[in-house]
Amino acid sequence: MSDTQTEALSKKNKVGDGKVLLRAEGLERKFGGLTAVADFSFELREGEILGLIGPNGAGKSTTFNLISGFMPPTSGSLSFLDQNITNKNATHISRMGLIRTFQHESLLSEMSVADNIIIATTHRLKSQAERLGKMRETAKLTGLDDHLEVTAGSLPHGLQRMLSIAIALAAEPKVLCLDEPLTGLQGVEVGAALDLFEMIRSELGITILLVEHNMRAVMRICDRILVLNHGRLLAAGTPEEVSQNELVIEAYLGHKK
Amino acid sequence: MLKSNPGLALSILIALAAICFALFSGEPYYVQVIIWVFTNAVLAVTLRFVLLIGELNIATAAFFGIGAYATAVASTIYDLPFFISLLAAPIIAGLISALFGWVTLRTKGPYFLLISFAFTEVVRLFYTKSEFLGGNSGMIGMFPPMALNDYFPAIAITILTAILLILYLTERSNLGRVFKAIQNNEDIPRSVGLNVIALKVLCFVIASTAVGLAGGVHAYTNSVIAPADFTFFVAVLALAYVKIGGEAHIAGPIIGAAVLTLAGQFLHSFGPYENIFYGAIIIGALLLVPGGIVGLGARLRTGTFKGRAER
Repeated sequence: MSDTQTEALSKKNKVGDGKVLLRAEGLERKFGGLTAVADFSFELREGEILGLIGPNGAGKSTTFNLISGFMPPTSGSLSFLDQNITNKNATHISRMGLIRTFQHESLLSEMSVADNIIIATTHRLKSQAERLGKMRETAKLTGLDDHLEVTAGSLPHGLQRMLSIAIALAAEPKVLCLDEPLTGLQGVEVGAALDLFEMIRSELGITILLVEHNMRAVMRICDRILVLNHGRLLAAGTPEEVSQNELVIEAYLGHKK
Repeated sequence: MLKSNPGLALSILIALAAICFALFSGEPYYVQVIIWVFTNAVLAVTLRFVLLIGELNIATAAFFGIGAYATAVASTIYDLPFFISLLAAPIIAGLISALFGWVTLRTKGPYFLLISFAFTEVVRLFYTKSEFLGGNSGMIGMFPPMALNDYFPAIAITILTAILLILYLTERSNLGRVFKAIQNNEDIPRSVGLNVIALKVLCFVIASTAVGLAGGVHAYTNSVIAPADFTFFVAVLALAYVKIGGEAHIAGPIIGAAVLTLAGQFLHSFGPYENIFYGAIIIGALLLVPGGIVGLGARLRTGTFKGRAER
């Protein structure tokens, strides 16, 4: 990639005028000889829904693990709310208000729905009454209020997805990082989930970073999109810009013959 | 709380009956057996308490011994008063377990189990090599004050009951819920701002402090302690109590301890073959009643006999 291209890219990456909540600079993570993420810089601005897409193995999940403190970066820096969080652990970062969900094993499968959500309120709320209140409120928001006593692992798939979002919401995030929240959802469920994300952003004022494979959903809901390929930033911009980008089309569909 | 919880009410009644029996029966042998039952119940319950975070803690045997030795040292070497000597047990056990847990509970997989096993044996070897702790023959002469002598068995049962009650209430609190969450999937509590390692250490320290106090009570009950009383086999027996009683509820290890301790009184007559019967009982229980006695009770109540799915 030429220098001018890179420059243009980083300009597009900085659209929007909300306050920068999360900033990554030159993020890199190696696993032995394999570089999962390399030279990845981006900003997440207050109030936006930022999409992070890319083919399988592009480094999306690694990026999530890096920014949420579940894995330290090999090099590069991260700041959240103007504080350096580069080598902070997951507990520290989640207490600051950056809450992530998980693509797999995203809930406490052997515990009740209510217990799952209460666990997430434990750090912020100290009285049991407040925790129960927050649990009910969150369950209602995510459509789980009729299933509070059900064991999480026996919920239908769609509701399990909702529960993993409820867990994150109950922890009162400033930034919510959703790792493929739509995987395995049916058409109607996808629509409902997207409405929920929109509501989380507009009514709860929570900024969202969304990793997702469902292109149509990403295009519909994101303000900006970052495209990762082989661990590097390939393209960035509005959904229209990204969907017309030659490099992106090539990465997803292969080389033109 | 007692009204809505008949199980708890019944347990407290049984404990009160045991305390009255200790005070008024004048049957020292049976009183001694009752104290063994309660001590073994604490060993099993503390072993299960650390199972809440998903760790099998062989060192429960070590901290039982550390408590006993702390009390023995305080009372026979430093001549400290009874209650202070008794208090030395949970304090020393708690402090050592905090240090031990802080270092070892960062590991994942079977390592904690292995380290706790090694620790138990190392501590035991330390007793045998330490002359001031009496070496192989251990320590003698821990007696409650004369004035309390007649009441001591009742005091012992009261303390052991209080330990069980506190562990039960802790498990039922939000802290207990957090411990179970850590066992289920520790990434979730970590992702919502909980310090998982500190919480694991806390769970371990609570259990070790509790079993340490039981060790202190044991030192005064027996008046004699020796390194051989605190081998890893103590934890293996505790695990047998947990497995036979059932893991799902705190009543499981208590029932398991009662059944096996009482059975043990009969099995003693078989001399060296005693352990074969223990082994047979354990294997039989694991094969026939996988959820333990508590699991069996739950299945009878709900009328489902489809096995493990119930748990």
